Parts: sequence; structure tokens; C-alpha cells
Amino acid sequence: MNAWLIAATVLLAGLVPLLVVCVRHSALDTLVALELASTITTLALLLLAQGYRRDPFFDLALVSSVLSFAGALTFARFLERWV
Amino acid sequence: MRDVVVAVLLTLGVATALLSCAGVLLMHDALDRLHFTAPASTLTPALFAAAVLVEEPLSSAGVKAVLVALVITITTPVLTHATARAARVRAHGRWKVESEELERVEDPR
Repeated sequence: MNAWLIAATVLLAGLVPLLVVCVRHSALDTLVALELASTITTLALLLLAQGYRRDPFFDLALVSSVLSFAGALTFARFLERWV
Repeated sequence: MRDVVVAVLLTLGVATALLSCAGVLLMHDALDRLHFTAPASTLTPALFAAAVLVEEPLSSAGVKAVLVALVITITTPVLTHATARAARVRAHGRWKVESEELERVEDPR
């Protein structure tokens, strides 16, 4: 296990407080937690790609960063009025 | 030497992200929580991209890491604005600020 994989594992521990926010607070707080969680998972994918020395895995992080933006933006638009 | 620099950059990046998560957990409302998404979306990707570049300069991995960091850094302010807008519209039913609201801000009595 190298430094990249250790960093990815510790980084994923940051999802626990965000999960607590998702369970215990309102819809908008949950959206904020979701935005941060998607950033953290994207960065964890980046670290895992480097940790396993697989260049194609970096594409996963890139796709995740773009798609999580689209997903969170959709949630934000719906939470304005309709949800 | 290179390993030490990579370890320092990774540690700083992970610490920033974890502090952001703690901030989101500890704040009281959505607008306060939004502030704490910024360090994890600007500093952390930059530090991780720098760590990849230190380990593998001029490689496709380095270019993709920089690209991921750029995408995250550019899109997060847009998301923050959209979320704050959603919070205001949910609370007040509109996005525009009306004149009596401005008067209340200028003269809080």
C-alpha cells in the first residue's frame, strides 16, 4: 500500500460526516453535503488511479467531475421550487 | 526527496478536505455550510494535481490530474451560486431583491 492509496482511504473517511448531514438535516443541507461528497469521491478516484498506476482510471475521475456537476445542478434547480 | 514532497502535498490536501467536511457537519444552516465546500474544491484538487505532477511530470496522468482539478475548481462556484439561489427562492419565493428588503438592510430598525 503506497501513500496514494492511504491518502484515498483517509479521504473517503470524510464521507462519514457528510452522511450524517444527509440523514439529519433539511433538503438544502443535504444538497450541500452531496456536492462536497461528489468532489471528494472524484478526488479519491484520482488518488486511486495514481496509486494503482493505471492511466485509464484517470478518465473515471474526469467523467465523475463533469457528471457530478450536472447532477448537483439538476438537484439545485429542482429544489428551487418543485421539490 | 520527491516522495517527501508528494507525501506533504497529499497530507495537506487530505487535511483540507477533512476540515471542510467537519465544517459542513458543524455549521447551522445551508448557506453557512456552502462556505465550507470551497477549500475542498479549490485547494485540495490543486494540491493533488501538484502531487501527481511532482511524481510524474509531463505524463498523461499529470495532464488528466490538472484537467480534473480545473473542472472541479471552475464548476464548484457555479454550483455554490445555484445552491444559494435555490435556498433564497425556497425561503422568499423569488430571486430578485425588492426595494423594502434593501431599506431594511440599510436601516435595520
